[in-house]
Amino acid sequence: MSHRKHVTSSGAAARDRGRARLRAVTVSAAAASLIAAGGVAFTLPGAAIASATGTSSGSASGSTRHAASSSGVSSSSGTSKSSSSGLSSPTSAPTSSSGSGQVTSGGS
Amino acid sequence: MHGITSSTALWYASRATGVVCLVLLSAVMILGLLVNRQGRLPGLPRFAVLGLHRNLSLLAVAFVALHVISAVADSFVSISLAAAVIPFVSAYQPFWLGLGAVSLDLMAALIVTSLLRRFIGRRTWRIVHWLAYASWPVAVAHSMGSSKDMQSGPLLGLAVACILAVAGALAWRLGRARAEAPRARRVPDLMAAQAPPRRLARAGDR
Repeated sequence: MSHRKHVTSSGAAARDRGRARLRAVTVSAAAASLIAAGGVAFTLPGAAIASATGTSSGSASGSTRHAASSSGVSSSSGTSKSSSSGLSSPTSAPTSSSGSGQVTSGGS
Repeated sequence: MHGITSSTALWYASRATGVVCLVLLSAVMILGLLVNRQGRLPGLPRFAVLGLHRNLSLLAVAFVALHVISAVADSFVSISLAAAVIPFVSAYQPFWLGLGAVSLDLMAALIVTSLLRRFIGRRTWRIVHWLAYASWPVAVAHSMGSSKDMQSGPLLGLAVACILAVAGALAWRLGRARAEAPRARRVPDLMAAQAPPRRLARAGDR
């Protein structure tokens, strides 16, 4: 009888230890995920400047945060929106001009 | 150099949470494959592996919610809430965002059926849970297709590592399944093997 009690209590203790470990691993994973999200956000190529000779293309695909217009060239003036592509151009949109254009690339 | 400002914060949040979602969903997939074949992790008892699978699933869902909300709330790219849920209706990258919506819907089905598992029965839950095998690759395709971040550099390496890890876990599971006797034969064998000692133990108790 006492042997069974001992076995039961040691089983319960092992279970409690398992639960505690599970909790610790879960909390660690949550914390690591938040830290990773912050770290990734800071390392993402947001303000990487892609210099282009000539006119920069206003491609709206992928992670490139371009303002799209019918001509494919972004305009930095005003707050016009192009509804067809689902993209809007902010005031800080990448500029494009003849000569050496600059494109601010972001991500999706 | 990063360009996080108040106007771009949501854009970055959406991208970063997307990356974390990929890692978490891959971990959930691997744990799910381990759990099914009685796999163990060092330092954790078996029930804790199952618990970790469930907890990481909930964590992944929380990050998926953050990913979707930040993408919808971001004012630069206009992605409607409907486009996040209904596949292939988005004006911006309809195909790749559509895959994301498909994955989200499959995930929602998994969550709802897991919460209602007691009411719908194990068999139905199990059938729906097989959708996870479709949800994960669709999510990977969405992340790699919609984001140029994932198409080169270290994040591409991360995506490849996730794919290889899940493929390895799947191969392990298939290998274990093949090595074991079929369930129809295994269960009666186990019952026959365990029945006599149980009877003896009960008789001993009396």
